[in-house]
Amino acid sequence: MNTCTTSACAPATTSSTPATEHLVKPRYDVRSSKDAYEVRVELPGVRKGDVKLDFERGLLTLKAQRQSTAQEGWQTLHRELNRLNYGLQLRVNAPVDQVAFTAKLEDGVLTVTLPVKEAAKPRTIEIG
Amino acid sequence: MKLTNYNPFGLTRADLNDWFQHPLAGFPSLSRFFSMDSPLGRLAADVHEDKDNFYASFEVPGVKKEDVKVELNDRLLSVTVTKKDKSGEQESSYTSTRSISVPESVKADAISAKIEDGILTVTLPKGEDRKGRSIEIA
Repeated sequence: MNTCTTSACAPATTSSTPATEHLVKPRYDVRSSKDAYEVRVELPGVRKGDVKLDFERGLLTLKAQRQSTAQEGWQTLHRELNRLNYGLQLRVNAPVDQVAFTAKLEDGVLTVTLPVKEAAKPRTIEIG
Repeated sequence: MKLTNYNPFGLTRADLNDWFQHPLAGFPSLSRFFSMDSPLGRLAADVHEDKDNFYASFEVPGVKKEDVKVELNDRLLSVTVTKKDKSGEQESSYTSTRSISVPESVKADAISAKIEDGILTVTLPKGEDRKGRSIEIA
């Protein structure tokens, strides 16, 4: 992950994120059907209460925290799964409903479903 | 339709999402499965211990328990994950294995495993000689 201190590569918006917070971008993919777009984000080790998802003005913003796999009283012998903060922001240029979106977290994968607006769906017109 | 990244948190690496521009939209790229920084390419792992057990944890997002095989051969604990991906008519699957060596004195017949929130945790009970003993002085 590049960190950059010059203004040339500052975030496009003034973010309230403190400079010390290091965000890791999770892996994700996007699928579409005629009814919805589906964004699937891999968040292994993240619990339900530790995900924050916002969708406004066409911007989908996700933040999630993952805790250590170690429980109380465990000694660590080898570590690759760090505690971390996931962050992902996607601009959605599609005619989706910004209110009716749904999200579920299952097996460490967050699935966000963005329904296509009715008005934007293809229609078949009967010829009278 | 185009989804473009928004340079979210000062990330500078361009990450163009081009699934929408080619007919195989929606397929994870092959590089995903071979890239070294991919957790599923290598099944990132932690190992912890307490007085009674060793604990090995692996990242397995989106994997169901029936798609995981956990084996102990001699001193090698191997975890094999088969991930199936269905996109419309097309189905693809790939397999990923990670092995870690465990101390000799593990009670092999008492090993247990569970998956929670995309993390597989294998519990390996320690054999007697690892638990430490206090020896009475006669």
